Amino acid sequence: MGDYPATDPSEPVELVVIGAGPAGTAAAVAASRAGIDTLIIDEARTAGGQVYRALPPEMPVTNAAGLGPDHGVGERLRHELSASPVRAAFGHRVWHVAPGGWVRAVGPQGLKSWRAQRMIVATGTVERIMPFPGWTTPGVIGLAAATILVKAQQVLPGRAVVVAGCGPLVAAVAAAILKGGGQVAAIVDLAGPGEWLAAMPALASRPDLLARGIGWLGRIRAAGVPIFFRHTVISAEGTESVTAALLQPIDDTGRPRDGRSRRIEADAIVIGHGLVPSTDVTRLLRLDHAYVPERGGWVVIRDEVCRTSDKRVYVAGDGAGISGALAAEIEGKLGGLTAAFDLGRLDHATYEYAVTEARPTLHRARRFGNAMGRMMALRTGLLDVARTDTVVCRCEDVSRGEIEAALADGADDMNRLKSWTRCGMGPCQGRFCGAAAATLVARPAGGREAAGTWTARVPIRPVPYEAFVADYRYEDLPFFTAGH
Amino acid sequence: MIRIQNVVERPHRVELTVNGQPISAFAGESVAVALLAAGIRILRLSPRAETPRGLLCMMGTCQECIVRIDGRITQACLEPARDGLVIDLGGAQNG
Amino acid sequence: MTEQFDVAVIGGGLLGCTTALFLARAGKRVVVVERRKNICTQATGVNTGNLSMMWTRPYLVPYAIEGRNMWATTSDWLGVDLGFRVRGGLKLAFTEAEAVDMQRDMGEARDGYGCPIEFLDGEAARRIEPALTPAVVRAAYCPLDGYANSLQTGRAFRRVLKRENIQLRLEAAPAALDCGDAGHTLHLPGRRLHARELVVAGGAWIEEILQLFGLSYPMLCRKSQVIVTERMPATFSTVISAALGILSLKQSDNGTVLIGGGWQGLGDPVRGPGQIVPENFIGNLRLAHYAIPALKSARIVRGWLGLEARAPDQQPLLGRVPGHARAWIIGAIDTGFTLGPALAKRLSAIMLGEAEEIAAFDPGRPMPPCPVQPLPVYADEL
Repeated sequence: MGDYPATDPSEPVELVVIGAGPAGTAAAVAASRAGIDTLIIDEARTAGGQVYRALPPEMPVTNAAGLGPDHGVGERLRHELSASPVRAAFGHRVWHVAPGGWVRAVGPQGLKSWRAQRMIVATGTVERIMPFPGWTTPGVIGLAAATILVKAQQVLPGRAVVVAGCGPLVAAVAAAILKGGGQVAAIVDLAGPGEWLAAMPALASRPDLLARGIGWLGRIRAAGVPIFFRHTVISAEGTESVTAALLQPIDDTGRPRDGRSRRIEADAIVIGHGLVPSTDVTRLLRLDHAYVPERGGWVVIRDEVCRTSDKRVYVAGDGAGISGALAAEIEGKLGGLTAAFDLGRLDHATYEYAVTEARPTLHRARRFGNAMGRMMALRTGLLDVARTDTVVCRCEDVSRGEIEAALADGADDMNRLKSWTRCGMGPCQGRFCGAAAATLVARPAGGREAAGTWTARVPIRPVPYEAFVADYRYEDLPFFTAGH
Repeated sequence: MIRIQNVVERPHRVELTVNGQPISAFAGESVAVALLAAGIRILRLSPRAETPRGLLCMMGTCQECIVRIDGRITQACLEPARDGLVIDLGGAQNG
Repeated sequence: MTEQFDVAVIGGGLLGCTTALFLARAGKRVVVVERRKNICTQATGVNTGNLSMMWTRPYLVPYAIEGRNMWATTSDWLGVDLGFRVRGGLKLAFTEAEAVDMQRDMGEARDGYGCPIEFLDGEAARRIEPALTPAVVRAAYCPLDGYANSLQTGRAFRRVLKRENIQLRLEAAPAALDCGDAGHTLHLPGRRLHARELVVAGGAWIEEILQLFGLSYPMLCRKSQVIVTERMPATFSTVISAALGILSLKQSDNGTVLIGGGWQGLGDPVRGPGQIVPENFIGNLRLAHYAIPALKSARIVRGWLGLEARAPDQQPLLGRVPGHARAWIIGAIDTGFTLGPALAKRLSAIMLGEAEEIAAFDPGRPMPPCPVQPLPVYADEL
């Protein structure tokens, strides 16, 4: 017995892996090597996710030295995947999942549906940017977005770029822009040097990454880029396109404080305030979640080997809480092996050996990743930068003032706010306004958990209507089984 | 010049039509990048306040880069540039 | 400490709030008791907002017209403009057989109950609505049809309840009820309310509330899906329905298209509204596209559903709780949004002795056996 009619023509599969980033790819490969019939689904053309996004095949590499070490890792993962028996459904956007292994997607050939015995969810993260005056102006680009532009598209975000925000991506993107021949007008870090120093012991658990970071700083220093620690961008100037960034000192919560503000001319502001695990799929699957700010926000509750509150579902990678790319790959492998073990295709000794062997590297990787997660945790004081007329919901142009008026009228959770203001009703489905909206709602609601989340609904991402009406006949529509 | 040189080669030039104007790009880069490199930063106006919007997230999440390609609503950041694409800026709510 | 009221209304949706409002304006001390954190969150706040005189059963047309007129004048009686729009409505028959049924039903609505309806052939329908499919065989047109903004009802009622000093108790689900000569005592967590009269306006939870009276009153639960698109260019202007009765379709001023019609999803009064059923999601989209082919250029952004009560004989409930002189039920209306304000106002008039009860709606009437609705299996049961 399942949630849906038995007449559903879904294709059966033993294991579906949603997301082909490092976690999902490693999970699929590991499970398939244990003999599991595995399908991996991703919207992109190929594996790699965001951190290891492939270069377009139409643009061959002529100088690998110009690419970072991530390129090699991505190529290795893609190669391992294509050398494995895993079936891949690339170019497919998952629009529906349900407990019991149901997965539906829209792909180049139309609608697809599968019924899996086990699911591994490895959907990664999305970028968080807290609203500030002018943040909707063209030329304001996300930090993770800029990483993709520079590494996977080999293009600079602008000619004179301000790079702002928190976490390791700030230095990484600044260095990549410099390496690519661009100019960085300023680096604006929410953190102070003290926070970086305090993170050192954890960073030292990955000497390779630490060395990379030091390399970035060297390049930044050599280029003479001014660095503003404990500052944020309080305004982007320009009407049709960015012309300058206004900076202000902040306290450790992100709240602007008295101090000298600075105006930096730039044609692009690259900015990011952390990464947020994608929980759309996991909430539709009714898994248990917890609110953990230093892991990115709402995260799935899972154990060391990726099991969740539903014994048929596993989660791995940053989508289950920020731990970094290496941890994602190791977790993915563990998740795949656990699924294989639970399906009875891996003997206990082999499974235990693999888990034990992975543990030390995973712990070191997680230690580093968790420290980065803490650096990227939401600084709620940043909300003070948003003025009454600052747009919070970009899709629907809902301002902070409109949100606060609804809260004053009695909206005290996310879904009420949404009904009353349209905040979160646009095509981004509340992804970009969610953190700011929740921080505002938290005040009358009595905290972030009390504020709640947007109710999980399908389609998981906007999907073309056209895909659903490609081929049908009026006479065949299920009028009488529709339950009227 | 915002395309990074001397790392990859871009052997295939493609011609796009953007709001009736010809734009040169390279096969494989996303339409969002092709537009950015051509200096086209405004991809649409927001539906209520009609403020200019451009690319933001590059990962198919923010929906700011919605354009029409050959008549279809498409996220420009996810769509590789190909020869002959006809692109209309203005967002989903405009025909 | 027991708070004293003239009337306690259990259920803070459209029906409960409107009944409370008119009773309060007649001088009654009223409290609205709502189990959730806010009001108008269930069917009231998630339905399409469509107001079609042709959707409701013919004999309910007079109430539909009155309800629709109340939506048109919310600025007067509610103090808030709820976005009422007149667009005209088209009910579409795609086959000759559907056309025959539609002619009969809409003929009754027009001739028996005074609904302004015109019958059109396909060509005439397409003159009114150019975006219509050529496959329309026959259509019924009602110039009164339109819609209002259901999303804003909670905010509007919060304001008016506050302004008119009508008490509201949120997160307040009665655990027990004592009925005596002096009235009713509601036992809430941590406190008690006493009211001379009670109104049960609990929507899909009417059956559960009636158990407080010691009554077994089996009801059906509808879980009707709604789908919305991204904003799209202005494509069609009328409110569209189908002769088969399973399509509702309109485009809002903001360009989004709302699609519904009663395609059923998952949900029950115990666990609340659940998720959509994909086959019905897809079927609904296809039927809407069949009517307006240009829809296919849009993107789908969201699907959801709401729970509504339905009586076993499918007629509304409006009248006394069986065996209780001073307790009332209102619900299970089926076109609850359209008729709601009118029927709630009528209930308040009945309770004030200013209007007659409606025999056909008497909750004490003989009811056919209620078909059993099996609870769907959810993951935690496997």
